[in-house]
Amino acid sequence: MVEVATQQPNTREWLAFVLVWGSAVLVTATFCWLLGDIIWHGLSHLSWIFLTAPPENAGRRGGIGPILVSTFLILGVCLAVSLPIGIGTAVLLVEFTSDHSLFGRLTRRSLDVLAGVPSIVFGLFGNAFFCKTLGLGFSILSGGLTLACMVLPILIRSTEEGFRAVPSNYRLSAAALGLSRTTTLFHLLLPAAVPGLLVGLVLGVGRAIAETAALIFTSGYVDRMPESLLDSGRALSIHIFDLSMNVSGGDANAYASALVLIILLLIINGTVSWLATYGLHRKIVTV
Amino acid sequence: MYRLTQIFPQKALGSFVVFLCASYLGIGGSATAQTSTDQLSGKLVITGASTLAPLISEIGKRFESLHPKVRVDVQTGGSSRGVADARQGLADIGMVSRAMKDEEKDLYAYPVARDGVGIILHKDNPVQALTDDQVVAIYMGKITNWKDVGGNDVPITVVNKAEGRSTLEVFLHYFKLKNTDVKAHVVIGDNEQGVKTVAGNRNAIGYVSIGTAEYDESQGVPIKLLPTGGVAASTETVRNSTFPMSRPLHIVTRTSPVELAKTFIDYAQSRAVHDIIKQQYFVPLVD
Repeated sequence: MVEVATQQPNTREWLAFVLVWGSAVLVTATFCWLLGDIIWHGLSHLSWIFLTAPPENAGRRGGIGPILVSTFLILGVCLAVSLPIGIGTAVLLVEFTSDHSLFGRLTRRSLDVLAGVPSIVFGLFGNAFFCKTLGLGFSILSGGLTLACMVLPILIRSTEEGFRAVPSNYRLSAAALGLSRTTTLFHLLLPAAVPGLLVGLVLGVGRAIAETAALIFTSGYVDRMPESLLDSGRALSIHIFDLSMNVSGGDANAYASALVLIILLLIINGTVSWLATYGLHRKIVTV
Repeated sequence: MYRLTQIFPQKALGSFVVFLCASYLGIGGSATAQTSTDQLSGKLVITGASTLAPLISEIGKRFESLHPKVRVDVQTGGSSRGVADARQGLADIGMVSRAMKDEEKDLYAYPVARDGVGIILHKDNPVQALTDDQVVAIYMGKITNWKDVGGNDVPITVVNKAEGRSTLEVFLHYFKLKNTDVKAHVVIGDNEQGVKTVAGNRNAIGYVSIGTAEYDESQGVPIKLLPTGGVAASTETVRNSTFPMSRPLHIVTRTSPVELAKTFIDYAQSRAVHDIIKQQYFVPLVD
Protein backbone atom coordinates (compact mmCIF):
# COMPACT_ATOMS: atom_id res chain seq x y z
CA MET A 1 0.00 0.00 0.00
CA VAL A 2 2.73 2.42 1.00
CA GLU A 3 4.59 1.63 -2.20
CA VAL A 4 1.54 2.28 -4.30
CA ALA A 5 0.96 5.49 -2.42
CA THR A 6 4.48 6.78 -2.99
CA GLN A 7 4.33 5.80 -6.63
CA GLN A 8 1.05 7.57 -7.35
CA PRO A 9 0.70 10.46 -4.97
CA ASN A 10 -1.12 12.49 -7.59
CA THR A 11 -3.82 9.92 -8.17
CA ARG A 12 -4.44 9.64 -4.46
CA GLU A 13 -4.56 13.34 -3.95
CA TRP A 14 -6.84 13.76 -6.89
CA LEU A 15 -9.13 11.09 -5.51
CA ALA A 16 -9.22 12.73 -2.07
CA PHE A 17 -9.87 16.08 -3.71
CA VAL A 18 -12.81 14.71 -5.70
CA LEU A 19 -14.23 12.90 -2.67
CA VAL A 20 -14.05 15.90 -0.35
CA TRP A 21 -15.37 18.38 -2.87
CA GLY A 22 -17.92 15.90 -4.17
CA SER A 23 -19.42 15.39 -0.72
CA ALA A 24 -19.47 19.10 -0.05
CA VAL A 25 -21.14 19.85 -3.39
CA LEU A 26 -23.64 17.01 -2.89
CA VAL A 27 -24.69 18.29 0.54
CA THR A 28 -24.94 21.88 -0.63
CA ALA A 29 -26.78 20.91 -3.80
CA THR A 30 -29.32 18.83 -1.89
CA PHE A 31 -29.99 21.71 0.46
CA CYS A 32 -30.25 24.22 -2.39
CA TRP A 33 -32.58 21.94 -4.32
CA LEU A 34 -34.81 21.48 -1.28
CA LEU A 35 -34.80 25.18 -0.47
CA GLY A 36 -35.33 26.12 -4.10
CA ASP A 37 -38.26 23.74 -4.44
CA ILE A 38 -39.94 25.15 -1.33
CA ILE A 39 -39.30 28.77 -2.32
CA TRP A 40 -40.47 28.11 -5.90
CA HIS A 41 -43.76 26.57 -4.75
CA GLY A 42 -44.28 28.55 -1.58
CA LEU A 43 -43.17 32.11 -2.17
CA SER A 44 -46.13 33.15 -4.32
CA HIS A 45 -48.56 32.20 -1.51
CA LEU A 46 -46.60 33.97 1.18
CA SER A 47 -48.02 37.29 2.30
CA TRP A 48 -48.79 39.25 5.44
CA ILE A 49 -52.38 38.01 5.24
CA PHE A 50 -51.17 34.40 5.03
CA LEU A 51 -49.12 34.91 8.21
CA THR A 52 -51.99 36.44 10.17
CA ALA A 53 -55.26 34.96 8.86
CA PRO A 54 -56.83 31.82 10.29
CA PRO A 55 -56.93 28.70 8.07
CA GLU A 56 -60.09 28.10 6.04
CA ASN A 57 -61.47 25.02 4.33
CA ALA A 58 -59.20 22.64 6.26
CA GLY A 59 -56.16 24.81 5.50
CA ARG A 60 -56.54 24.87 1.70
CA ARG A 61 -57.33 28.57 1.88
CA GLY A 62 -56.69 31.21 4.51
CA GLY A 63 -53.47 31.54 6.47
CA ILE A 64 -51.57 30.20 9.43
CA GLY A 65 -52.01 32.96 12.05
CA PRO A 66 -53.29 30.80 14.95
CA ILE A 67 -50.85 28.03 14.02
CA LEU A 68 -47.88 30.40 14.27
CA VAL A 69 -49.09 31.61 17.68
CA SER A 70 -49.51 28.01 18.90
CA THR A 71 -46.05 27.09 17.60
CA PHE A 72 -44.43 29.99 19.48
CA LEU A 73 -46.35 29.17 22.66
CA ILE A 74 -45.33 25.49 22.50
CA LEU A 75 -41.72 26.49 21.91
CA GLY A 76 -41.94 29.04 24.75
CA VAL A 77 -43.23 26.45 27.22
CA CYS A 78 -40.58 24.01 26.06
CA LEU A 79 -37.71 26.48 26.58
CA ALA A 80 -39.07 27.93 29.84
CA VAL A 81 -39.05 24.42 31.32
CA SER A 82 -36.02 22.85 29.66
CA LEU A 83 -33.51 25.72 30.00
CA PRO A 84 -33.48 25.96 33.84
CA ILE A 85 -33.63 22.19 34.29
CA GLY A 86 -31.04 21.62 31.58
CA ILE A 87 -28.54 24.15 32.92
CA GLY A 88 -29.16 22.95 36.48
CA THR A 89 -28.47 19.34 35.59
CA ALA A 90 -25.38 20.24 33.58
CA VAL A 91 -24.02 22.27 36.52
CA LEU A 92 -24.70 19.40 38.88
CA LEU A 93 -23.03 16.88 36.59
CA VAL A 94 -19.88 18.90 35.94
CA GLU A 95 -19.32 21.00 39.03
CA PHE A 96 -20.89 19.07 41.86
CA THR A 97 -20.42 15.38 41.08
CA SER A 98 -17.26 13.45 40.36
CA ASP A 99 -16.87 12.18 36.79
CA HIS A 100 -16.56 8.61 37.96
CA SER A 101 -19.33 8.52 40.51
CA LEU A 102 -22.12 6.02 39.90
CA PHE A 103 -24.72 8.79 39.88
CA GLY A 104 -22.88 10.80 37.25
CA ARG A 105 -22.30 7.82 34.99
CA LEU A 106 -25.89 6.61 35.30
CA THR A 107 -27.29 10.06 34.55
CA ARG A 108 -25.08 10.49 31.49
CA ARG A 109 -25.89 7.01 30.20
CA SER A 110 -29.63 7.58 30.57
CA LEU A 111 -29.37 10.97 28.87
CA ASP A 112 -27.57 9.40 25.92
CA VAL A 113 -30.24 6.73 25.65
CA LEU A 114 -32.99 9.36 25.87
CA ALA A 115 -31.33 11.45 23.15
CA GLY A 116 -31.67 8.52 20.76
CA VAL A 117 -35.31 7.70 21.53
CA PRO A 118 -37.62 8.30 18.53
CA SER A 119 -39.91 11.29 18.96
CA ILE A 120 -43.12 9.24 18.61
CA VAL A 121 -42.15 7.49 21.86
CA PHE A 122 -41.97 10.88 23.56
CA GLY A 123 -45.34 11.67 22.00
CA LEU A 124 -46.96 8.56 23.44
CA PHE A 125 -45.32 9.19 26.81
CA GLY A 126 -46.52 12.80 26.78
CA ASN A 127 -50.03 11.69 25.84
CA ALA A 128 -50.11 9.13 28.66
CA PHE A 129 -48.42 11.27 31.33
CA PHE A 130 -49.19 14.95 30.69
CA CYS A 131 -52.54 14.60 28.87
CA LYS A 132 -54.07 11.76 30.86
CA THR A 133 -52.28 11.24 34.20
CA LEU A 134 -51.79 14.94 34.94
CA GLY A 135 -55.11 15.77 33.28
CA LEU A 136 -53.73 18.57 31.09
CA GLY A 137 -55.58 17.15 28.08
CA PHE A 138 -54.66 18.09 24.53
CA SER A 139 -53.00 21.40 25.27
CA ILE A 140 -50.12 23.64 24.37
CA LEU A 141 -48.81 23.00 27.90
CA SER A 142 -48.76 19.21 27.32
CA GLY A 143 -47.04 19.70 23.97
CA GLY A 144 -44.45 22.09 25.35
CA LEU A 145 -43.66 19.81 28.30
CA THR A 146 -43.33 16.78 26.00
CA LEU A 147 -40.94 18.73 23.78
CA ALA A 148 -39.01 19.79 26.88
CA CYS A 149 -38.48 16.13 27.78
CA MET A 150 -37.33 15.54 24.22
CA VAL A 151 -34.78 18.37 23.99
CA LEU A 152 -33.46 18.07 27.56
CA PRO A 153 -30.88 15.34 26.79
CA ILE A 154 -29.40 17.38 23.91
CA LEU A 155 -29.44 20.56 25.95
CA ILE A 156 -27.85 19.00 29.04
CA ARG A 157 -25.13 17.16 27.13
CA SER A 158 -24.00 20.18 25.13
CA THR A 159 -24.18 22.54 28.12
CA GLU A 160 -22.12 19.96 29.99
CA GLU A 161 -19.53 20.09 27.20
CA GLY A 162 -19.59 23.87 27.53
CA PHE A 163 -18.75 23.63 31.24
CA ARG A 164 -16.04 21.06 30.60
CA ALA A 165 -14.42 23.39 28.07
CA VAL A 166 -13.81 25.91 30.89
CA PRO A 167 -10.19 25.30 32.05
CA SER A 168 -9.90 24.14 35.65
CA ASN A 169 -7.45 27.02 36.20
CA TYR A 170 -10.50 29.28 36.34
CA ARG A 171 -12.03 27.28 39.18
CA LEU A 172 -8.72 27.06 41.06
CA SER A 173 -8.02 30.78 40.67
CA ALA A 174 -11.54 31.62 41.84
CA ALA A 175 -11.08 29.38 44.87
CA ALA A 176 -7.70 30.95 45.57
CA LEU A 177 -9.30 34.38 45.49
CA GLY A 178 -11.78 33.21 48.11
CA LEU A 179 -14.85 33.41 45.83
CA SER A 180 -17.76 31.25 46.90
CA ARG A 181 -18.90 28.39 44.64
CA THR A 182 -22.09 30.32 43.85
CA THR A 183 -20.21 33.44 42.80
CA THR A 184 -17.80 31.37 40.74
CA LEU A 185 -20.73 29.62 39.05
CA PHE A 186 -22.77 32.70 38.15
CA HIS A 187 -19.98 35.12 37.35
CA LEU A 188 -17.37 32.89 35.85
CA LEU A 189 -18.44 29.40 34.82
CA LEU A 190 -21.90 30.15 33.41
CA PRO A 191 -20.73 32.98 31.12
CA ALA A 192 -17.78 30.88 30.04
CA ALA A 193 -20.04 27.92 29.26
CA VAL A 194 -22.46 29.98 27.15
CA PRO A 195 -21.12 28.78 23.76
CA GLY A 196 -21.89 25.16 24.66
CA LEU A 197 -25.31 26.17 25.93
CA LEU A 198 -26.06 28.02 22.69
CA VAL A 199 -25.09 25.00 20.59
CA GLY A 200 -27.51 22.92 22.65
CA LEU A 201 -30.16 25.60 22.27
CA VAL A 202 -29.86 25.69 18.48
CA LEU A 203 -30.02 21.90 18.22
CA GLY A 204 -32.89 21.70 20.72
CA VAL A 205 -34.97 24.44 19.13
CA GLY A 206 -34.35 22.94 15.72
CA ARG A 207 -35.56 19.57 16.87
CA ALA A 208 -38.52 21.06 18.73
CA ILE A 209 -39.83 23.35 15.99
CA ALA A 210 -39.65 20.61 13.36
CA GLU A 211 -41.42 18.09 15.56
CA THR A 212 -44.59 16.37 14.36
CA ALA A 213 -44.89 12.95 15.97
CA ALA A 214 -44.43 14.10 19.56
CA LEU A 215 -46.99 16.88 19.15
CA ILE A 216 -49.89 15.29 17.29
CA PHE A 217 -50.92 13.35 20.42
CA THR A 218 -50.11 16.09 22.93
CA SER A 219 -50.73 19.62 21.68
CA GLY A 220 -53.16 18.33 19.09
CA TYR A 221 -54.84 19.26 15.87
CA VAL A 222 -57.05 22.25 16.70
CA ASP A 223 -56.28 25.20 14.40
CA ARG A 224 -58.21 27.85 16.34
CA MET A 225 -56.40 30.81 17.95
CA PRO A 226 -55.36 29.53 21.40
CA GLU A 227 -56.86 31.44 24.34
CA SER A 228 -54.69 29.88 27.05
CA LEU A 229 -51.89 27.39 27.47
CA LEU A 230 -54.54 24.78 28.22
CA ASP A 231 -56.09 25.05 24.76
CA SER A 232 -55.13 22.60 22.08
CA GLY A 233 -53.04 24.26 19.38
CA ARG A 234 -51.74 22.92 16.07
CA ALA A 235 -48.01 23.32 15.52
CA LEU A 236 -46.65 24.44 12.16
CA SER A 237 -45.05 21.07 11.37
CA ILE A 238 -48.33 19.21 12.03
CA HIS A 239 -50.12 21.70 9.78
CA ILE A 240 -47.64 21.00 6.98
CA PHE A 241 -47.98 17.25 7.51
CA ASP A 242 -51.78 17.39 7.48
CA LEU A 243 -51.95 19.65 4.41
CA SER A 244 -49.57 17.53 2.38
CA MET A 245 -50.69 14.07 3.49
CA ASN A 246 -54.33 14.29 4.57
CA VAL A 247 -55.95 17.22 2.75
CA SER A 248 -56.28 17.00 -1.02
CA GLY A 249 -55.48 20.33 -2.60
CA GLY A 250 -53.52 21.53 0.41
CA ASP A 251 -50.14 21.44 -1.31
CA ALA A 252 -49.82 25.14 -2.10
CA ASN A 253 -50.39 26.19 1.50
CA ALA A 254 -48.23 23.30 2.72
CA TYR A 255 -45.32 24.71 0.70
CA ALA A 256 -45.92 28.23 1.97
CA SER A 257 -46.07 26.94 5.56
CA ALA A 258 -42.87 24.97 5.03
CA LEU A 259 -41.20 28.14 3.76
CA VAL A 260 -42.34 29.98 6.90
CA LEU A 261 -40.91 27.16 9.04
CA ILE A 262 -37.54 27.35 7.30
CA ILE A 263 -37.42 31.15 7.59
CA LEU A 264 -38.26 30.83 11.30
CA LEU A 265 -35.43 28.34 11.79
CA LEU A 266 -32.99 30.63 9.97
CA ILE A 267 -34.08 33.61 12.10
CA ILE A 268 -33.72 31.63 15.35
CA ASN A 269 -30.32 30.22 14.40
CA GLY A 270 -29.18 33.64 13.19
CA THR A 271 -30.26 35.31 16.43
CA VAL A 272 -28.51 32.69 18.54
CA SER A 273 -25.23 32.97 16.68
CA TRP A 274 -25.48 36.77 16.78
CA LEU A 275 -25.99 36.49 20.53
CA ALA A 276 -23.00 34.21 20.78
CA THR A 277 -20.77 36.64 18.90
CA TYR A 278 -21.87 40.13 19.88
CA GLY A 279 -24.78 40.09 22.27
CA LEU A 280 -23.16 38.79 25.42
CA HIS A 281 -21.19 41.46 27.19
CA ARG A 282 -19.93 39.07 29.79
CA LYS A 283 -18.64 36.60 27.27
CA ILE A 284 -15.37 35.05 28.34
CA VAL A 285 -12.98 33.73 25.74
CA THR A 286 -11.86 30.32 26.93
CA VAL A 287 -9.16 29.68 24.39
CA MET B 1 -21.67 18.59 49.76
CA TYR B 2 -23.25 21.86 48.73
CA ARG B 3 -26.68 23.06 49.70
CA LEU B 4 -29.29 23.89 47.08
CA THR B 5 -29.26 27.57 48.03
CA GLN B 6 -25.57 27.64 47.21
CA ILE B 7 -26.28 26.52 43.69
CA PHE B 8 -29.51 28.44 43.17
CA PRO B 9 -29.85 31.78 44.94
CA GLN B 10 -33.04 32.38 46.95
CA LYS B 11 -34.52 34.61 44.24
CA ALA B 12 -34.38 31.92 41.55
CA LEU B 13 -36.04 29.36 43.84
CA GLY B 14 -38.76 31.86 44.65
CA SER B 15 -39.58 32.61 41.04
CA PHE B 16 -39.74 28.89 40.25
CA VAL B 17 -42.31 28.42 43.02
CA VAL B 18 -44.31 31.35 41.59
CA PHE B 19 -44.17 29.71 38.15
CA LEU B 20 -45.49 26.44 39.57
CA CYS B 21 -48.33 28.22 41.38
CA ALA B 22 -49.24 30.21 38.28
CA SER B 23 -49.45 27.10 36.15
CA TYR B 24 -51.57 25.42 38.81
CA LEU B 25 -53.99 28.37 38.91
CA GLY B 26 -54.24 28.22 35.15
CA ILE B 27 -55.35 24.59 35.36
CA GLY B 28 -57.93 25.44 38.01
CA GLY B 29 -59.34 28.21 35.85
CA SER B 30 -60.17 26.03 32.87
CA ALA B 31 -62.12 23.53 34.90
CA THR B 32 -64.82 26.12 35.53
CA ALA B 33 -66.20 25.85 31.98
CA GLN B 34 -69.76 24.63 32.49
CA THR B 35 -72.87 24.24 30.41
CA SER B 36 -75.39 26.96 31.19
CA THR B 37 -79.11 26.42 30.82
CA ASP B 38 -80.09 29.27 28.51
CA GLN B 39 -77.35 29.10 25.92
CA LEU B 40 -75.11 26.31 24.69
CA SER B 41 -71.58 26.58 25.98
CA GLY B 42 -68.67 24.33 26.85
CA LYS B 43 -66.12 22.24 25.03
CA LEU B 44 -66.66 19.24 22.80
CA VAL B 45 -63.65 16.98 22.35
CA ILE B 46 -63.81 14.87 19.20
CA THR B 47 -61.09 12.36 18.28
CA GLY B 48 -60.59 9.63 15.69
CA ALA B 49 -60.25 8.99 11.97
CA SER B 50 -57.83 11.29 10.16
CA THR B 51 -60.07 11.00 7.08
CA LEU B 52 -62.89 12.66 8.99
CA ALA B 53 -60.82 15.16 10.97
CA PRO B 54 -60.73 17.97 8.37
CA LEU B 55 -64.48 17.57 7.67
CA ILE B 56 -65.52 17.58 11.33
CA SER B 57 -63.10 20.49 12.02
CA GLU B 58 -64.85 22.57 9.37
CA ILE B 59 -68.32 21.59 10.63
CA GLY B 60 -67.08 22.44 14.13
CA LYS B 61 -65.97 25.90 13.03
CA ARG B 62 -69.37 26.67 11.54
CA PHE B 63 -71.02 25.28 14.68
CA GLU B 64 -68.83 27.58 16.81
CA SER B 65 -69.89 30.58 14.76
CA LEU B 66 -73.56 29.67 15.45
CA HIS B 67 -72.92 29.08 19.17
CA PRO B 68 -70.16 31.51 20.17
CA LYS B 69 -69.68 30.04 23.65
CA VAL B 70 -68.99 26.55 22.32
CA ARG B 71 -65.54 25.19 21.50
CA VAL B 72 -65.20 22.13 19.29
CA ASP B 73 -61.75 20.53 19.59
CA VAL B 74 -61.00 17.97 16.89
CA GLN B 75 -58.02 15.60 17.33
CA THR B 76 -56.88 12.93 14.91
CA GLY B 77 -55.31 9.46 15.25
CA GLY B 78 -57.43 6.86 13.46
CA SER B 79 -60.82 5.16 13.75
CA SER B 80 -59.63 2.68 16.38
CA ARG B 81 -58.64 5.60 18.53
CA GLY B 82 -62.01 7.26 17.95
CA VAL B 83 -63.75 4.15 19.25
CA ALA B 84 -61.35 3.73 22.19
CA ASP B 85 -61.50 7.39 23.25
CA ALA B 86 -65.29 7.54 23.03
CA ARG B 87 -65.55 4.34 25.10
CA GLN B 88 -63.15 5.54 27.80
CA GLY B 89 -64.79 8.94 27.90
CA LEU B 90 -61.59 10.69 26.81
CA ALA B 91 -63.58 12.18 23.95
CA ASP B 92 -67.19 13.32 23.87
CA ILE B 93 -67.54 12.12 20.28
CA GLY B 94 -65.43 9.65 18.31
CA MET B 95 -64.90 9.67 14.53
CA VAL B 96 -65.03 6.32 12.74
CA SER B 97 -64.57 6.22 8.96
CA ARG B 98 -66.11 2.78 8.34
CA ALA B 99 -69.18 0.68 9.12
CA MET B 100 -69.51 -0.14 12.80
CA LYS B 101 -68.35 -3.59 13.84
CA ASP B 102 -70.46 -6.05 15.82
CA GLU B 103 -68.36 -5.61 18.95
CA GLU B 104 -68.94 -1.85 18.73
CA LYS B 105 -72.71 -2.10 19.13
CA ASP B 106 -72.35 -0.58 22.61
CA LEU B 107 -71.67 2.78 20.97
CA TYR B 108 -74.27 5.12 19.48
CA ALA B 109 -73.26 5.68 15.86
CA TYR B 110 -74.47 8.49 13.58
CA PRO B 111 -73.55 8.47 9.87
CA VAL B 112 -72.62 11.91 8.50
CA ALA B 113 -71.40 11.12 4.98
CA ARG B 114 -70.16 8.39 2.62
CA ASP B 115 -66.78 7.78 1.08
CA GLY B 116 -65.80 5.32 -1.65
CA VAL B 117 -62.47 3.51 -1.83
CA GLY B 118 -61.15 3.21 -5.37
CA ILE B 119 -58.20 1.39 -6.90
CA ILE B 120 -55.72 3.73 -8.55
CA LEU B 121 -52.96 3.21 -11.10
CA HIS B 122 -50.52 5.60 -12.72
CA LYS B 123 -52.10 7.38 -15.71
CA ASP B 124 -49.52 5.92 -18.12
CA ASN B 125 -50.29 2.33 -17.11
CA PRO B 126 -52.04 0.73 -20.14
CA VAL B 127 -54.22 -1.49 -17.91
CA GLN B 128 -57.80 -0.14 -18.03
CA ALA B 129 -59.61 -2.55 -15.72
CA LEU B 130 -58.89 -5.36 -13.30
CA THR B 131 -61.28 -8.07 -12.17
CA ASP B 132 -61.73 -8.61 -8.45
CA ASP B 133 -59.79 -11.88 -8.71
CA GLN B 134 -56.88 -10.14 -10.41
CA VAL B 135 -56.73 -7.47 -7.68
CA VAL B 136 -56.75 -10.21 -5.03
CA ALA B 137 -53.97 -12.11 -6.85
CA ILE B 138 -51.87 -8.94 -7.16
CA TYR B 139 -52.26 -8.06 -3.49
CA MET B 140 -51.49 -11.65 -2.42
CA GLY B 141 -48.33 -11.64 -4.49
CA LYS B 142 -49.53 -14.30 -6.96
CA ILE B 143 -49.37 -11.89 -9.91
CA THR B 144 -46.20 -9.83 -9.75
CA ASN B 145 -45.87 -8.52 -13.29
CA TRP B 146 -48.19 -6.19 -15.20
CA LYS B 147 -47.87 -8.35 -18.36
CA ASP B 148 -49.99 -11.04 -16.66
CA VAL B 149 -52.98 -8.70 -16.58
CA GLY B 150 -52.51 -7.15 -20.01
CA GLY B 151 -49.93 -4.48 -19.20
CA ASN B 152 -46.24 -3.90 -19.88
CA ASP B 153 -43.53 -6.34 -18.85
CA VAL B 154 -42.68 -4.60 -15.60
CA PRO B 155 -42.96 -5.69 -11.96
CA ILE B 156 -45.94 -4.49 -9.94
CA THR B 157 -45.39 -2.26 -6.91
CA VAL B 158 -48.12 -3.04 -4.40
CA VAL B 159 -49.07 -0.09 -2.19
CA ASN B 160 -50.97 -1.02 0.96
CA LYS B 161 -52.37 1.05 3.82
CA ALA B 162 -51.05 0.90 7.36
CA GLU B 163 -52.81 -1.13 10.05
CA GLY B 164 -55.69 0.75 11.69
CA ARG B 165 -56.56 2.77 8.58
CA SER B 166 -60.21 2.47 7.64
CA THR B 167 -59.50 2.43 3.90
CA LEU B 168 -57.48 -0.74 4.58
CA GLU B 169 -60.40 -2.32 6.39
CA VAL B 170 -62.88 -1.37 3.65
CA PHE B 171 -60.49 -2.77 1.03
CA LEU B 172 -59.81 -6.04 2.91
CA HIS B 173 -63.49 -6.51 3.68
CA TYR B 174 -64.58 -6.08 0.06
CA PHE B 175 -61.89 -8.40 -1.34
CA LYS B 176 -62.23 -10.85 1.59
CA LEU B 177 -58.50 -10.60 2.29
CA LYS B 178 -56.58 -10.77 5.53
CA ASN B 179 -53.89 -8.11 6.02
CA THR B 180 -51.35 -10.86 6.72
CA ASP B 181 -52.03 -12.24 3.21
CA VAL B 182 -51.10 -8.95 1.56
CA LYS B 183 -47.59 -8.82 0.10
CA ALA B 184 -47.05 -5.08 0.09
CA HIS B 185 -43.95 -3.26 -1.18
CA VAL B 186 -44.96 0.10 0.22
CA VAL B 187 -47.10 0.75 3.28
CA ILE B 188 -48.61 4.22 3.54
CA GLY B 189 -50.84 6.20 5.89
CA ASP B 190 -53.07 8.93 4.54
CA ASN B 191 -54.94 9.12 1.23
CA GLU B 192 -52.89 11.96 -0.17
CA GLN B 193 -49.75 9.93 0.53
CA GLY B 194 -51.27 7.04 -1.46
CA VAL B 195 -51.99 9.31 -4.41
CA LYS B 196 -48.46 10.71 -4.31
CA THR B 197 -46.90 7.25 -4.13
CA VAL B 198 -48.81 5.99 -7.18
CA ALA B 199 -48.32 9.25 -9.10
CA GLY B 200 -44.58 8.90 -8.54
CA ASN B 201 -44.34 5.25 -9.64
CA ARG B 202 -45.63 4.12 -13.03
CA ASN B 203 -45.82 0.49 -11.91
CA ALA B 204 -47.68 1.01 -8.64
CA ILE B 205 -51.17 -0.04 -7.68
CA GLY B 206 -52.89 1.44 -4.65
CA TYR B 207 -56.28 2.30 -3.25
CA VAL B 208 -57.48 5.59 -1.77
CA SER B 209 -60.62 7.55 -0.96
CA ILE B 210 -62.46 8.24 -4.25
CA GLY B 211 -63.13 11.88 -3.34
CA THR B 212 -59.39 12.47 -2.92
CA ALA B 213 -58.48 10.61 -6.12
CA GLU B 214 -61.18 12.39 -8.16
CA TYR B 215 -59.98 15.78 -7.01
CA ASP B 216 -56.31 15.01 -7.66
CA GLU B 217 -57.16 13.58 -11.09
CA SER B 218 -59.02 16.81 -11.95
CA GLN B 219 -55.93 18.76 -10.84
CA GLY B 220 -53.77 16.91 -13.36
CA VAL B 221 -52.08 14.46 -10.98
CA PRO B 222 -51.13 11.46 -13.20
CA ILE B 223 -53.36 8.79 -11.67
CA LYS B 224 -56.54 7.03 -12.80
CA LEU B 225 -59.36 5.36 -10.92
CA LEU B 226 -60.26 1.81 -11.99
CA PRO B 227 -63.84 0.52 -11.91
CA THR B 228 -64.56 -2.05 -9.21
CA GLY B 229 -67.04 -4.90 -9.73
CA GLY B 230 -67.85 -3.37 -13.12
CA VAL B 231 -68.98 -0.06 -11.60
CA ALA B 232 -67.10 3.15 -12.38
CA ALA B 233 -65.49 4.72 -9.33
CA SER B 234 -66.93 8.21 -8.85
CA THR B 235 -68.62 10.28 -6.15
CA GLU B 236 -71.85 9.81 -8.17
CA THR B 237 -71.84 6.00 -7.93
CA VAL B 238 -70.90 6.27 -4.24
CA ARG B 239 -73.84 8.58 -3.60
CA ASN B 240 -76.38 6.27 -5.23
CA SER B 241 -74.74 3.30 -3.43
CA THR B 242 -74.10 1.37 -6.67
CA PHE B 243 -70.33 1.46 -6.10
CA PRO B 244 -69.54 -1.66 -4.06
CA MET B 245 -66.38 -0.62 -2.22
CA SER B 246 -67.66 2.29 -0.17
CA ARG B 247 -67.97 3.15 3.47
CA PRO B 248 -70.11 5.24 5.75
CA LEU B 249 -68.41 7.91 7.88
CA HIS B 250 -69.68 7.86 11.45
CA ILE B 251 -69.47 9.92 14.56
CA VAL B 252 -70.03 7.89 17.70
CA THR B 253 -70.81 8.47 21.38
CA ARG B 254 -70.69 6.18 24.40
CA THR B 255 -74.04 7.21 25.87
CA SER B 256 -77.11 8.59 24.18
CA PRO B 257 -76.03 12.18 23.45
CA VAL B 258 -77.60 15.07 25.30
CA GLU B 259 -77.42 18.86 25.11
CA LEU B 260 -74.24 20.04 23.41
CA ALA B 261 -73.22 16.70 21.85
CA LYS B 262 -76.79 16.08 20.64
CA THR B 263 -77.07 19.55 19.08
CA PHE B 264 -73.73 19.07 17.35
CA ILE B 265 -74.59 15.61 16.00
CA ASP B 266 -77.97 16.85 14.73
CA TYR B 267 -76.19 19.73 13.04
CA ALA B 268 -73.52 17.46 11.48
CA GLN B 269 -76.29 15.28 10.00
CA SER B 270 -78.31 18.22 8.71
CA ARG B 271 -78.55 19.64 5.20
CA ALA B 272 -76.79 22.79 6.44
CA VAL B 273 -73.39 21.10 6.24
CA HIS B 274 -73.76 19.45 2.81
CA ASP B 275 -71.67 22.15 1.17
CA ILE B 276 -68.84 21.44 3.64
CA ILE B 277 -69.08 17.69 2.99
CA LYS B 278 -68.79 18.26 -0.78
CA GLN B 279 -65.96 20.74 -0.23
CA GLN B 280 -63.99 17.98 1.54
CA TYR B 281 -64.65 15.57 -1.39
CA PHE B 282 -67.03 13.31 0.49
CA VAL B 283 -70.56 12.39 -0.48
CA PRO B 284 -73.58 13.64 1.55
CA LEU B 285 -76.00 10.89 2.56
CA VAL B 286 -79.18 12.38 1.12
CA ASP B 287 -79.44 14.92 -1.64
